[in-house]
Amino acid sequence: MLDTNKIHEIIFEALEAVNAEREEGEKIIINSETILFGDEASLDSLDLVSVLVDVESALLDVCGFSVSLTDDRAMDQEISPFSNIHNMTKYILSIV
Amino acid sequence: MIVKNLTGQFVDLRPINASDAEITLSWRLSGRSRHLNAVSGDLESQLNWIANRPESDFDFIIILKNGLRVGMVSLTEIDMVNKNAVPGRFLIGDEAAVKGKPVAVEAMSLVYQLAFDQLNLVRLHGIIAEKNLKMIKWQVYLGMKVEGVLRSHLFQNGSFENAKVLGLLEEDYRKITIPRMKALMSV
Repeated sequence: MLDTNKIHEIIFEALEAVNAEREEGEKIIINSETILFGDEASLDSLDLVSVLVDVESALLDVCGFSVSLTDDRAMDQEISPFSNIHNMTKYILSIV
Repeated sequence: MIVKNLTGQFVDLRPINASDAEITLSWRLSGRSRHLNAVSGDLESQLNWIANRPESDFDFIIILKNGLRVGMVSLTEIDMVNKNAVPGRFLIGDEAAVKGKPVAVEAMSLVYQLAFDQLNLVRLHGIIAEKNLKMIKWQVYLGMKVEGVLRSHLFQNGSFENAKVLGLLEEDYRKITIPRMKALMSV
């Protein structure tokens, strides 16, 4: 069952993978308020893609079908789904 | 070659020159470049390296719109007969300055536009150290395909390491790369 908690769990796991490659002191503080991309963001482009790949992969496992987070629908959003965990979660719930 | 300066929304690319020797050397000696080829580590060698770039290569400095130099990227080994080339030497040196900005995506997008739209190439290819998982993940998400493994191909940090061979065809660039890059740059 895909709900907000499950999506948070998936995104947190993807962020943990980013943290695994970072030095102590550079690790992202992960919680539902974490800013992903944009002003005061925690990620650079390579990190963001890493998160997207891991989230898409986990969604495939959970949903049984592939979900693209970077198709035209993402670009049509008034607020970027990549800006923070809240918006990414909301966006995923809207497309699955 | 056709054009030497490339302009984007977030970054510009301009040819590397002698004034970039110090900063590019500092990037190459930093931990972030541990997966790239080793450099000798002195300024004179870096100046010589810059001075001896072939005319046929494009070696760029990535510059933010405020003028800050944040990285480097190249398009080399351009083969106009077989219509292919190698994008590489891709390094974001100033990590803090690019957080939250699609700098790497746009810099690579500008290089791809140069390759496919201006030089009319049909294929880009290159190798990435097998341990450089994040870069491989990034390139594959943006359309490249893993085409093989070169065993013990790179001598890095005291040992011989495998390298993954990756390639991007023009049709995949138009079908996969462009939409994904646009989405990542729409933030």
